[in-house]
Formats: sequence, structure tokens, C-alpha cells
Amino acid sequence: MKKAPGTKRFDFVDVTLRDAHQCLWSTRMTTAMMTPILGAIDRAGYAFINILGGAVFDVCVRYLHENPWERVKLLCERLETPCDALTRGQSLYTFELFPDDIVELNSAVFAKLGVDVLTVYDALNDNRNVESSIGSGHDVGMKVNAMMTYTLSPVHTDAYYVARTKELVKLKADFIAIKDPTGLLTPERGRTLFPAVVKAAGSVPLKLHSHCQSGLAPEVYEIAIRSGFRYGYTASRPLANGASLPATEDIGARARKLGFRTSLDPAALREIAGYFTCVAEREGKPLGEIARYDAALYEHQIPGGMISNLRSQLQAMGMEHRLPEILEEVPRVRKDLGYPIAVSPFAQYIVTQATLNVVQGERYKTIPDEVRKYAMGYYGRLAAQPSDEFLERAAIRPGDLVTERPGEHIEPWIPRLRKELGPSVPDEDLLLAAFYPRALLEPLKKRAPQYEFRTTPLNELIRFIGSRGDIEFARVRFAGTDMSFTA
Amino acid sequence: MRKEGLTYEDVLRIVELVKTTPFSEFRLKVGEIEVHLKRRNGAGGAPAVHGQPAAQTEAAAPARAAERSFAADAVLVRAPMVGTFYRAPAPGAEPFVEIGGHVDPDTTVCIIEVMKLMNSIAAETRGVVTEIPVANGARVEPGDVLMVIEPQPEDG
Repeated sequence: MKKAPGTKRFDFVDVTLRDAHQCLWSTRMTTAMMTPILGAIDRAGYAFINILGGAVFDVCVRYLHENPWERVKLLCERLETPCDALTRGQSLYTFELFPDDIVELNSAVFAKLGVDVLTVYDALNDNRNVESSIGSGHDVGMKVNAMMTYTLSPVHTDAYYVARTKELVKLKADFIAIKDPTGLLTPERGRTLFPAVVKAAGSVPLKLHSHCQSGLAPEVYEIAIRSGFRYGYTASRPLANGASLPATEDIGARARKLGFRTSLDPAALREIAGYFTCVAEREGKPLGEIARYDAALYEHQIPGGMISNLRSQLQAMGMEHRLPEILEEVPRVRKDLGYPIAVSPFAQYIVTQATLNVVQGERYKTIPDEVRKYAMGYYGRLAAQPSDEFLERAAIRPGDLVTERPGEHIEPWIPRLRKELGPSVPDEDLLLAAFYPRALLEPLKKRAPQYEFRTTPLNELIRFIGSRGDIEFARVRFAGTDMSFTA
Repeated sequence: MRKEGLTYEDVLRIVELVKTTPFSEFRLKVGEIEVHLKRRNGAGGAPAVHGQPAAQTEAAAPARAAERSFAADAVLVRAPMVGTFYRAPAPGAEPFVEIGGHVDPDTTVCIIEVMKLMNSIAAETRGVVTEIPVANGARVEPGDVLMVIEPQPEDG
């Protein structure tokens, strides 16, 4: 079909099967919950469907006892819409660093399973940590979407993100995304940051991936659309908002109001939303609620889950009353450490160090090994120089600093793993063995359940009734069928 | 796709009613669809029991009087719902378990199909299958015994 001249488009990347349930359902959406609605998701008009991320991979293995590769393969086979899978660059699905040969094999497995777009980011925004992913992703024919993580600090200026964008253009990223994992972006900042990044990206299309903790995300998306971003990451309404991303329905409506064309199919979106609301009811999972603006979010930037975790740990030690002091120490530690972004694992470093500083009554009396390694540049380049006080207490001298690319100082693993597992081991199993101890992989050998690939509202009603312990009799009649259940 | 007359909006309205109203009996007619529910005595407005309806299986047992007896220590896997009993994941595939086969609590032993929905039934105990009283493809009622398992202690 010929496009009308001058018609601007805005397209969508679905995160319902990935980040949305990571934020709202502790990543506990099973493959069986996804398969009945894949047909509607495919019809909804998304440009890409994000199906994998670090936490999804890890929860599949540790808690759902599902083989993540089988999920990836099944979703890629079933969905005609291009599938997008995300990794943490040199750390893939974890927070440790892997050698280049493992990163390259992971890209090869993605391509083999049918992944179209490799999305990659580094929590330090050190783009040397995404080089091996971009290169190996291109080698096996995938498009690569490189993300920059947004944060607030005196050094994370528009110029900082423009410099990162230029690096990614040079690395030949096919898409560049701004990732705002704690929902810190505001419309005001978007008005300067977005046009600057669009300009620096040249012909590379931009995507926005922002969470809704502050309640401002829909306005932020509007600014991105106006500034020339081509894509937005969004979720089906019941799994949108709160700590998740904005609803596809809402951002679609805003884009159209701004005069942009979208490919969204409202009937398919309604079906998806209805289905997932039923799943939430049956499984006892929460629905996303629109968050109210909370100025405190911008002070310490520590994710809410981490604060509640810290509170319960302090409680166990009888030191809950020190929490306000610790939260005051957090921004000071972050500054001393050169403004790491408050995402995993660096948020944990900041909080742990702040707690030690307060509880021990002396700053940097104890410095965890990981914090020291981070400050030496072992995980990548820091956004700013650590403070002299910290460097002195940590006894880090200029000669200790790691200046090479982090992947450089790790020997290849594949020769050793092939020797251990035998020459005929499938690549998928070799990678799992690289990421996890063998005992964790045992439960993955069980046979996958029989998946259902279609459903109807009536099916979902019956499944809901079946999940209730308090209903002793149910009879459903329709179109010549008469069913009854007695408990 | 077959026209059904029931939308997700209707389903969610019914779900909301089931969750929030202290009814003991509920009847609904939407087009050609009729739903009739009865709630357990005194359970009006009780919180939902989520997940697999294991509690239903337990409760169903005493209600069925005309049931033959099994060994006193045998663990019985019962049908949690009305449906069709299948011993294998797909037509022509190997059965999940055979008599004499060892099962763990999370071993799937059979499927109950309701309206094309496959419900995997787990052994929920560790042991050996000693009897499969129901024929493959048979229609089962809630509480029907599907498998008899002789329990085995954890240690081996």
C-alpha cells in the first residue's frame, strides 16, 4: 500500500510478555499464560514484541523451571511480528561479566531460535560493554537496538547522552533507545534531551522505554513523539502503569491526537487486555495502577522494592530507626562513587555502602569487594571520578585502575565447557551451563506442559470459576453444550 | 472465529460479582449463554482461593458415596473438574505414566480436557502408580479417582 505523503508514523514495541510482568508480577508470567493470546498480540499491530530480558531468563530457570530457550523458540515460531530479546551486554542475564565467546554464542543462539532484534544495554552506559553484542548480533543477521540508561546526576547531562548516542551510531546500532528504568524522566527534561539525541542519532531511529513510577511517563512519551522518536515501548492496559510502562492504548491515542499514524488494532488490544485481566483474577496477580506524582522518587532514586528490603533487614537487626539516616547517606555515597545509575547491581552497592557507613559510625570503614572493583573500573568506565575521600579509604591507586574493555580481561570459556560437557552438547545447553550451576538446571529437563494456543472469553470464565475454592456447583450452557461442575 | 455472544467485558463483570457479592446462588443469561453458580454454605464473600483447585478435590471426596474402596495408605489422584481424561499429552504420544511407574509430586500423570482446555494433573505425592481405574478418553466427574499411588518415603 502506498503511504500518504507526509504522514508521520509512531510505532510500538510490546513489553506485556517481558518488562510489564517483571514490574508487576515479579516476572512470574508463565509460557502457558502467554500462548492462548499470542494470536491477538500478533494482530494488534505492534512493530516488535519484546519477549526476553535478564530477569525473565533468570526467573524461568530459578523459579518457573521452564527452559528459557524453549520459550524463546516457541514465541518466535508463533509470532509473525518481529521478536526482540534483551540482554545486559557483557553480563547477558546476570550481573557478572562473561567472555566474548559466550556473548557471541548467545547471539548465534538468538538468531537460530528466530529472534529478529537483539536489544542490549550496559548499566554503566559504557558502550565498550555492548560492542561484542552489536558485532556478533550483526554477524548472525539480527538488527541491534542499543539502549542508554537514563539517570539524574550532575554528570548525566544532555551532552553526556549525546556523546553516548554518537558512540552507538559509530558502533552501527540499528536503533537507539533511551531506557528510564525508575521513571525519572520528566517532560521538562525530555524537551531538551530528546531533540538533542534525535539530532545526534542522525538516520538511526529512536525508541523510548520509560516506566511509570512518577506518573509522568505518558507526558514524557508525548514529548518523545513530538521530538521525532519512532517507537515507544508499552504494555497491555492491565499490565501497564505503576512500576510498569504506559498502556499501549493510552500512548496510541496520544500519538493519533498529535497527528501520527499508528498500526494499532483496537479490537485486538481489547481482547489482549480482557484476557490478561482474567489471568490476573485467576492467578491472584495485581493489575497496574496509575502512580501519583511522588517528588521523593527524585531524591534518593532507590527503587521501592530495595527500600522495603532494606527496612526488613534493618528490622531484623533492631536498627529500623536508622533508615532515615541511611536514605540521607545514599546520595552522598552515590556522589562519592562517581554517580552510578541506581539500577541493579549498582543500586545494591550504593545502599549497602550507605548502610555500612551509618551503622559502623564511620564512613568507608568497610568497603565491599564489589564496590572496590567497581571503583577500579573493573565493570566498566565510571560516569565520574570517585571522590578523593573514597579512593583514599579504599586504597585505590592510579596503577590499580582497569582501563581496558571489561570483556578483554576474561579468558574464553567455550573450550573448557565443551571439554566438560562433550563435543555434541547443544549450544543452548552449553550457555545454560555457563550461567548456572548444574543442580539448578535439573528441573528444566521436565517435559513442557501442553500449551493452548487459542481461547475465548467463555473459556476464561470457566477457568476462573474452576480456580475458586468457594463454588460448589457451576453450570454453563451455550450453543447446545451443557456443562456442570460439582465440587 | 465462532460467534459466542460473551465478551471479556461480560466475563469481568461476572468475575467482579463472584468476588464481591455474598450470593449463595447466581444465575445469568447473556444471549444464548447461561451461567448458574452455587456457593458453598457460609462461604459468601469469602476470599478467592487461587491457583490449582486442590481444595476442591479434597472436599469432593466425602460427597461421593458410591465409591469403591482402595488400600488404606493409597494416595488417590482425583478429577478436580468435569471433563475428558487423557493419559498422554497428545494423541499417539506415550502415556505420562504406566502402572508400576514412579512419580514425584510434580510429575504430570494425566490431563483433564475441558472445552479444549488441557488441565495437567500432578501426582502431588511421591510413589508408584498401582492402578489407573479410568479408561483413556473417558468422561470424568469431579472427585473421580484417576490414579492410585502407593506412597514411598522421601529417602531412596
